[in-house]
Amino acid sequence: MTAALEAVGLGKRYGRRWGLRGCTLAVPSGRVVGLVGPNGAGKTTLLHLAVGLLQPSEGSIAVLGDAPASGPAALARFGFLAQDSPTYPRLTVADHLRMGAWLNPSWDEAFAARRIRELGLDPRQRAGTLSGGQRAQLALTLAVAKRPEVLLLDEPVASLDPLARREFLQTLMEVVAAHGVTVVLSSHLIADLERVCDYLAVLVAGRVAVSGDVDALIASHHRLVGPRRDRLPANQQVIEASYTDRQSTMLVRSHDPVLDPVWSVAPVTLDDLVLAYLRQARDDAPASSPALAVAR
Amino acid sequence: MIRLAWLQSRTRTLLGAAAVAALAAAAAVTGIRLSSLYDRLVADCRTNCGLATARFLSHDQFLQNALNPLIQALPALLGMFWGAPLLARELETGTYRLAWTQSVSRSRWLLTKLGVNGLAAVLLAGLVTLTVTWWYRASDLVATDQYAVFDRRDLAPVGYALFAFAVGALLGAVLRRTLPAMAATLGLYVVARVATTLWVRPHLLPPVRTVTSLLHAQFGFVAENGSPVTMVATGSGPPGAWTLSSSFVTASGHVAGSAELAGFVHRHCAAIATPPSGPPGNALPPANAAAEFDACRRHAAQTFHLLVTYQPASRYWTFQWIETGIFAALGLLAAAGCYWWVTRRTG
Repeated sequence: MTAALEAVGLGKRYGRRWGLRGCTLAVPSGRVVGLVGPNGAGKTTLLHLAVGLLQPSEGSIAVLGDAPASGPAALARFGFLAQDSPTYPRLTVADHLRMGAWLNPSWDEAFAARRIRELGLDPRQRAGTLSGGQRAQLALTLAVAKRPEVLLLDEPVASLDPLARREFLQTLMEVVAAHGVTVVLSSHLIADLERVCDYLAVLVAGRVAVSGDVDALIASHHRLVGPRRDRLPANQQVIEASYTDRQSTMLVRSHDPVLDPVWSVAPVTLDDLVLAYLRQARDDAPASSPALAVAR
Repeated sequence: MIRLAWLQSRTRTLLGAAAVAALAAAAAVTGIRLSSLYDRLVADCRTNCGLATARFLSHDQFLQNALNPLIQALPALLGMFWGAPLLARELETGTYRLAWTQSVSRSRWLLTKLGVNGLAAVLLAGLVTLTVTWWYRASDLVATDQYAVFDRRDLAPVGYALFAFAVGALLGAVLRRTLPAMAATLGLYVVARVATTLWVRPHLLPPVRTVTSLLHAQFGFVAENGSPVTMVATGSGPPGAWTLSSSFVTASGHVAGSAELAGFVHRHCAAIATPPSGPPGNALPPANAAAEFDACRRHAAQTFHLLVTYQPASRYWTFQWIETGIFAALGLLAAAGCYWWVTRRTG
């Protein structure tokens, strides 16, 4: 099966700074993939590279096996919703639908019209006068009515209020259920992703820290609490450890069950897991590592 | 894609078309009257032609004064308000992320946008130029100096408009911000126009040279900042020609320098070479000043002639085609640069 999104050694340099570097990632199709990371981690860069808005400085990326935006046919296979849902402020809602119909051979007129009706948008209203939530819904409608095989969304709910956020994700889930489209969704809020994603990639400082099926990730990570010891458990990858005088608390990754009776084992939440990786990546950053090594 | 480009530029284009229509209506009403006035007052005047011309020119003063600046500014306005925002606004507000992820390649998107809007801008410039040229035809006949309005008539403004539009689009793509792109477009357009007028246009074709007598030229003496008194003269080519330069030449044909001219004045026109003492402006000219001036001029005319270089009136259309061609070619070059930048460099 072709990966929906496959990056190998992908890097993008802006002048001297690398926005993304050494990014290797394969996203299976048919999933709802959360791309999570702090601001500036390279989520937007990765998505822009995937849809051909940017060209990679090194490495390669493919969407459904095609080089990004290599031609009209490749462009028709994905839908993209850019950050802040750009629309043409002076064109009306109906104009936007017309634009979609003109520019996309696989345009689903019926779907677009039905969605706009369901959203209660006035087709004659200019996009510039829509609320943030309405604009996001319009932009999502445009991306979905293109009938893509992969839908890429860059921080689609970041600027929405909680209600609009819930409605947007609701719409998205309906679309996934109805069309079976692969979704790649970036966010810096884990709570948004937890509700909709079944696959997760954590992006920190331009690299993929961890990626995989959400259930598998949760099943293979454990929180261990036990008497203080500096020797780490064997066969287990420690993501995060903290110590008091008498006790060690660790978040470890292990595909085998933790059987050592010394440890009391607790499951982790997605939130814990992502934060542990974010902290690990931050602590591994060269500038801050000496000070932290002393503290340990 | 053509339909989208039209949808996006519809308001602007229709506004432009309405403005052109209003201008054409005003020009038609007044222009027809001006034509009949010209026929009645100037065309077959036998006596007092100066007075008749002045009476003719006193009509429609507002349009007489307004249309020339309008046609002068039009290409710059098209570049600033049509060319510069074309791509800069998409890049600035982020809508390019919407446009470039539809199922249309970036090059087709760009070429259609440039083509539709460029064509509209050139058409608009052409219609305005046609209207203005037609409206001024009687006034231009009276003024008889077609080169003086060279850049405001016939073809040249259309070339300028194409150039300004394409430069605006290119700068918008490179700078990615609307206001800086507009300012840079204006700056570059003005520089290109001034440079062409001053340094390129006079040399597009080798000028015609003719030697005339000093007695047929405007003639005078000057002394600048205490330097010796010397002679100046300005000749003119045949009627309707564009005079480029006038210089003193000796009988042997070489151009006389200012030292040589000052020496001549010093040797042969002593009364003129030593100006009267006293505060400047107060001294009344001596009674025989006019006689001395004429004597010196006649004497100089026996020693020196005036070499006048000019572009004859018959080359007017050649110059129009060349200048329009240069600016159109530069405009196409800018459009090609814009294409290269957007498809290869952006991203």
